[in-house]
Amino acid sequence: MAKIAIDPVTRIEGHLRIEAQVDAGKVTDAWSSGTMWRGIETIVKGRDPRECWALTSRI
Amino acid sequence: MSKVKDDGSIWSGLAKKGVSRRDFIKYCTTVAATLALPSSLVPKIVEALEKKQKPYAVWLEFSDCAGDSESMLRATKPTIGQIVLDVISLEYHETIMAGSGKFAEKALQDVVKNQKGKYIAIVEGAIPMKDGGIYCTIGGKTAADIAKEVCGNAAMTLAVGSCASWGGIASASPNPTGSVGVGKAVPGITYVNLPGCPMNVENVTATIVHYLTFGALPALDGEHRPLFAHGALIHNNCERRAHFDAGQFVKKWGDEGHRLGWCLYEMGCKGPEAYFNCPTIRWNGGTSWPVKAGHPCFACASTNNWDAFGPIYKRLENVPGAGYQTSADKIGLGVAAVAAAGVAAHAVIRATKGKPHEEEKK
Repeated sequence: MAKIAIDPVTRIEGHLRIEAQVDAGKVTDAWSSGTMWRGIETIVKGRDPRECWALTSRI
Repeated sequence: MSKVKDDGSIWSGLAKKGVSRRDFIKYCTTVAATLALPSSLVPKIVEALEKKQKPYAVWLEFSDCAGDSESMLRATKPTIGQIVLDVISLEYHETIMAGSGKFAEKALQDVVKNQKGKYIAIVEGAIPMKDGGIYCTIGGKTAADIAKEVCGNAAMTLAVGSCASWGGIASASPNPTGSVGVGKAVPGITYVNLPGCPMNVENVTATIVHYLTFGALPALDGEHRPLFAHGALIHNNCERRAHFDAGQFVKKWGDEGHRLGWCLYEMGCKGPEAYFNCPTIRWNGGTSWPVKAGHPCFACASTNNWDAFGPIYKRLENVPGAGYQTSADKIGLGVAAVAAAGVAAHAVIRATKGKPHEEEKK
């Protein structure tokens, strides 16, 4: 029984952590975590809606 | 043609990849122009790239969108492949490197330990400081801790893009994660800010070449940005400036003025308050830039641009000189009218007095 973690997962855009529970060579459980958050949804609130595209495109 | 000696220098690395001597000299000349250096310094740049060994570099990504990495991938002189493998030895970059997890971490640690004080740290993305920095972690470590270790042991740090320079979009009001730029997150390091959303790769490679050639950073402004890239207002180099002066403004998307390439001031252009070299260096190998493509500038490199200049499509207040030529024409016409009236009045006075000039001379 072992738990492995791959962090960072590379060759993707963004930050990702993958953990897996491995029993006798088989993955019996797995977790994925996005390890970065900026709150763009909070930031766009209250702004001129015409510029929403400029902020959300930076997600 | 003599074979270039493979001595590990930057030039020999480029030659090995098929870059001709002519293209190499052209590149050195282009970089000198980008750096706003006189052409007499081109031989010094050539010599530096001929003699210098490739410096090690690591590219860190924190709270980012990878836009600056994308900008790097659009480098054309030299190409990204040439930069990654031949101009610098890029040992770590999460978006493009082969290894992942523990192998990636080892690649980074190897450089930090074995090249301590000699490598270049390139940082993309903001660093969240709120709640212990938990809003960005890699390999279980916070961005703040990684930056302290990697930038703290580097010869110098390049903060590429607005996020790494001053917090960028992550720091836009209300800045939910307490994000800041590298310079603020790790006090005391030697660093250059190369903002832009994204950065302009031409300015980044020029800065690296400057450092390799002169062993020092280029002249910086009060915000740690190179003067060669941020010393002039966009408004003063804009190819549509004559339309601004003449009062020829686009009023609606797609109107006659828009088709004719008129000034975008009334569509919200922030060029009058932005300091960047977009009109001259441009983007995608010098192809174009927002205003040239018909969209107003929104000062993407300027600190706090998302909050400081008002909405993107709202006109800037108090920009002097808008349409001054129209008023000048009006003034000119007015003066001409007064002058004409004066001449007419003079003629009337002369006629009533009845004495011709010739008689007065006697």
